[in-house]
Amino acid sequence: MPSAKSSLYTILTYAAGLLFLAVFIGPILWFIALALRPPETAFAMPPQFTFTPTLNAFRHILVDPGTNAPQLVNSLVVAIGAVLLNLPFSIPAAYALSRFKLRGKKNIMLWYLGLLMAPPIAFLIPYFVLMNRIGLTGSYLSMVLVLQTMTIPFSVWLMKSFIDEVPAELEEAARMDGARWYTIMWRITLPIVRPGIIVTSMFAFVFAWNNAAFPLVLSARSTATLPVGTLGYFATSGVTWNYIAAAAVVAMIPPMIIFLVFDRYVVRGLTFGSVKG
Amino acid sequence: MTTITAHTPVATMTGRRSFVRRNLPYLLIAPSVIMLLVLIAYPLLFALRSSFYFWNLQIGPEPQAFVGFDNYVQALNAFDFQAALTNTLLLSFVGTALEFALGLSIALILLRALPGMNVVRALLILPTTIAPIVVGFLFRYLYDPGGGLLTWVLTSIGIPIPAVGLLGSPSTALAAVLFADIWQWTPFFAIVLYASLLSVPEEIIEAARLDRASAWTILMRIKLPLIKRTAIIIVMLRFMQLFNTFDTVLVLTRGGPGTSTRTLGYSLYEQGLINFNIGLVSAMTWITVLIVNIIVALYVFFAFRNEEW
Repeated sequence: MPSAKSSLYTILTYAAGLLFLAVFIGPILWFIALALRPPETAFAMPPQFTFTPTLNAFRHILVDPGTNAPQLVNSLVVAIGAVLLNLPFSIPAAYALSRFKLRGKKNIMLWYLGLLMAPPIAFLIPYFVLMNRIGLTGSYLSMVLVLQTMTIPFSVWLMKSFIDEVPAELEEAARMDGARWYTIMWRITLPIVRPGIIVTSMFAFVFAWNNAAFPLVLSARSTATLPVGTLGYFATSGVTWNYIAAAAVVAMIPPMIIFLVFDRYVVRGLTFGSVKG
Repeated sequence: MTTITAHTPVATMTGRRSFVRRNLPYLLIAPSVIMLLVLIAYPLLFALRSSFYFWNLQIGPEPQAFVGFDNYVQALNAFDFQAALTNTLLLSFVGTALEFALGLSIALILLRALPGMNVVRALLILPTTIAPIVVGFLFRYLYDPGGGLLTWVLTSIGIPIPAVGLLGSPSTALAAVLFADIWQWTPFFAIVLYASLLSVPEEIIEAARLDRASAWTILMRIKLPLIKRTAIIIVMLRFMQLFNTFDTVLVLTRGGPGTSTRTLGYSLYEQGLINFNIGLVSAMTWITVLIVNIIVALYVFFAFRNEEW
């Protein structure tokens, strides 16, 4: 028999749950509605909660004239490039930090962590001048390279936490059979941590995808990523808000899908593996 | 976790192989460390050198004159840089504290584990997944003085809004920027703290209850100390991200009105990429780097002092 007090608690908890949804999800839905509503209703006072949805804004940004379609491709190229380039650097490092005894391990881990927290903004201008000098300004490579300051330390931390979970006995057994360290790493440990590598790559992708500061400084018109592209509508006002919202909604979709699909790993991803979740 | 030593002696090793053997872990780490050193050292050294020159990119591609510490003096004496420093510290400290407190409250409510609340928990993280620049647009729309949803809600419940809007008035703009950040990152604290609180063993809490410890005492004396490591990491992470606030400000206010929402990040952007004042911006960069390093070093030292790795 639930007491009166506990059923009051239950009601209050659900009320709080609804409040959280209204506060944290409501604005997102309102912004999605902006992308779907007729432009003249965007700033109606009082706000119009009902309207006939239209895909015109999405058609405008993706198909005709498709202003943001190339930027969507650019975002994919830069984010996927940043993840792929980071793997050969971070996988061996994560493996070594997980499996071997080495001097200064704590300091090395904290150094990576420190880099993750370093202000990228402080490096923007030097990178801008450097890329100009070596003629890489506006290239995908410049953005992919600079993003490594985030993706490598992130992946090392997160992947180490996955490798830590692989029982060392498996490797020990292979070692007894005379297998060399690289055979063990390639044939035994890495296949087992493949899901961990995928999870790591997915979250690294989100970080790279959402980064706007580096592309803002380093991209050219033809290599601008989607978040930078939304800034392009900024010069004008009024009707273009529908386009801004449509482009922003497209930019929101991949990270949201990744977070919802990898729900189990979200806490781990957000804390670089330091919380198992 | 078992650690394997790299010092397995093998009688027939050649010199080269034994070198690889002996240094294997370091060789595996080296590529990432070298890559990062190159990517970090270059900008830092470049900025250090440039900071002693007068150098405006609009005038020429090479530094124009050696000026010693003038850029540093100029930066520290500039009213807008001081404002940016104050705003940034304010945003970072207040934002981190509020987000932690709100996130912890939400986490404690989620822990009540009623049916259906799992859906709330899963959806709650969505604001955190959005690019900060998009959050900027979202809130600019909500704050719009003419037809913003938030303007309408606040006016309807009788809270007066400045005619220029929340972002247009110097007295509310910084709070409005902060609110957008709180909206985006409170769920982050909520979800992470929820997950780590779940891992606190039920028996310990039960034992404390039997000792008639209050819910508050259990939280402060048992739960929070047990999740200390997580809390330390996420607080530091969030503080540094707030210290970098730039994208949202660029979209929401461009540092205005006046200097009321100017952050260090925005100042660096403006001096570097709008005014092309490379010498001055380099000095600002080094001031920022020094401040960040002092804060992080102190924090890491005290927070991880007793940690085993």
